[in-house]
Amino acid sequence: MINQLRKIYPSIIRYEEKNNHLDHSYKWFISHDDEIIGIREDELTVKEQSVLTAFMVPYNVNFPIPTVEEKKWSSIIHSRDLAAKSNFKITIPFRFVYFSIKKNEIDPVVFKSAIQELFSRNVPVLWVNGYEGIIIEELSEFEEGTSYEQIIDILMSDLYVKIKFFVGPYRKNEERIMDHYHAVLTAAREVFFNTNRVVITYMDAIPYLLVHQTDDAFCSEMSDTVLQEYKNDEETLKMIEVFLKSNLNLSETSKILHMHRNSLQYRLDRFFENTGIDIRQFHQAMTVYLALLARK
Amino acid sequence: MADLELKNIKKMYNKNDVTVKDFSLEIRDKEFLVLVGPSGCGKSTTLRMIAGLEEITSGDLFIGGKKVNDVPPKDRDIAMVFQNYALYPHMNVYDNMAFGLKLRKLKKDEIKKRVDNAAKILGLEDMLTRKPKALSGGQRQRVALGRAIVRDAEVFLMDEPLSNLDAKLRVQMRSEIQKLHKRLQTTTVYVTHDQTEAMTMATRLVVMKDGIIQQVGAPKEVYDEPNNVFVGGFIGSPAMNFFNGKLDNEHFVMGDVRVHIPEGKLKVLRDQGYDGKELILGVRPEDIQDEPIFLEASPETKITVSIEVAELMGAEIMLYSNVDNQDFVARVDSRFNVHAGETVDLAFNLANAHFFDTVTELRIK
Repeated sequence: MINQLRKIYPSIIRYEEKNNHLDHSYKWFISHDDEIIGIREDELTVKEQSVLTAFMVPYNVNFPIPTVEEKKWSSIIHSRDLAAKSNFKITIPFRFVYFSIKKNEIDPVVFKSAIQELFSRNVPVLWVNGYEGIIIEELSEFEEGTSYEQIIDILMSDLYVKIKFFVGPYRKNEERIMDHYHAVLTAAREVFFNTNRVVITYMDAIPYLLVHQTDDAFCSEMSDTVLQEYKNDEETLKMIEVFLKSNLNLSETSKILHMHRNSLQYRLDRFFENTGIDIRQFHQAMTVYLALLARK
Repeated sequence: MADLELKNIKKMYNKNDVTVKDFSLEIRDKEFLVLVGPSGCGKSTTLRMIAGLEEITSGDLFIGGKKVNDVPPKDRDIAMVFQNYALYPHMNVYDNMAFGLKLRKLKKDEIKKRVDNAAKILGLEDMLTRKPKALSGGQRQRVALGRAIVRDAEVFLMDEPLSNLDAKLRVQMRSEIQKLHKRLQTTTVYVTHDQTEAMTMATRLVVMKDGIIQQVGAPKEVYDEPNNVFVGGFIGSPAMNFFNGKLDNEHFVMGDVRVHIPEGKLKVLRDQGYDGKELILGVRPEDIQDEPIFLEASPETKITVSIEVAELMGAEIMLYSNVDNQDFVARVDSRFNVHAGETVDLAFNLANAHFFDTVTELRIK
């Protein structure tokens, strides 16, 4: 194929692994023969780039060279090649784990090599851009995995970079895999826009996503109506937030806040007297939780 | 030289969420500074701003005299140890310590020299070929420290590094970290929510609450002279007892109970116009005593109370009781055997007590 393309694009070159250098003035693609080929950007029109992208996977020079498995996942998720998709079968449950790192602070090759050391087998990593991507993690029955909170701490101390993970749910089959990939990507971006948490699971994210999709006027109305006179009372709202995060457990909350249990009880009673909301009841607690999210 | 200076540092995540407010502090070279406070007080955020892992909303940060607000974390010459001391599960101890250096493309000889040196300091020489699974919790934590030591950095930043260890191991590792600091003399900023850890390890400690520094000082200074009710209650275990009452002539009055205030303290209160006003009295549990000699010498601060709970701790007993419906705990010598349900005489050592303003909660001094 490369010889045919050379007739149209004389600048075409193969990526030579031994040089380990990808020229930034070239557009790079992965051919059907798994070769990385480059064509000088000034030889390509926008239209030609689109045509080439239709039958070859574009390759970003800043990313690690994709493995065979990564290319397979990439083509299933990004291409419209129905034949490839029909041959793709999931045998082990997997999940998409979104990550984001600070722009221009770390070489994706270094990041990937550190990530690989945390799993018993090489995990495919699909880069969205130079600072976001998706790790495809297969469910391991035999190994007790390292939590993503731990992974963040290990990588931060080695790579000096702040990392966030959005952990998708496990999937047992390949149905609507492309949609799921995009759903995880969108959800992660929305959630991290709204929270300071660095690891969040899909299940934990659902309230954030619901509130994010609600218009600002309703969010404002909801937080005004529910929180009433407490809307700007940071101290009480922080106390309530800790109470909610502590599964409505008074002892746990008072311990975290270094507050006497009776004082906490008294303040929750006052909140009930002033708002009519008994935050110790699950449904009312849930309403206050959504109002707190809406307020943010 | 690696002194640090934080000038009016502020961190805001959104308009309603100011995590750190106007934080100013100078950290001296070779100092072991502990940031302590309850969860959500902004101590970890402050540490992460020093590391460069959180952006500073406003204010300036200097390391070794150089402004580093915009310097990437990797170029700040710092090493970090976090709460999760997890290691790369499939690497042995040597590789776990060497990995960060390999990523920084250090020469093999240099890596070996640094890892061997760290292993020697931490007593890990015989464990270099072991995988994390074959190590105890304490050994793993030592490897995590080793991963920081090999960096040969000017500043160590530690974020609750012992909080995942059990109580016994925590005490052991506390002294190991202190020994390490004595040996390496690296400027260290250590974050913990555990006041005992803070008191035992710090050269100086910084007590934080709601993103604001409450007090900075040597542990003993903070313990003996807390700036406010929060510091008094947070530092010390069991916590300082607080009693609400009124200054009446020469006495602090709680309902029907009157205790005499020593001359020096009384003068301060009167000079500041607290005569006849509400006050908060703060008394440490060890300053409420039941020894006969002390009771005899302190007839004017004596109270008679019923003991609700008596916890024998070995050399001492914690007596839980209340006066004027205000709970308190006294730490007394276990030689004087006291049981729950008994009525006993206790006396306050008000020479060591503090008075606080009821509105500002600041210590009256």
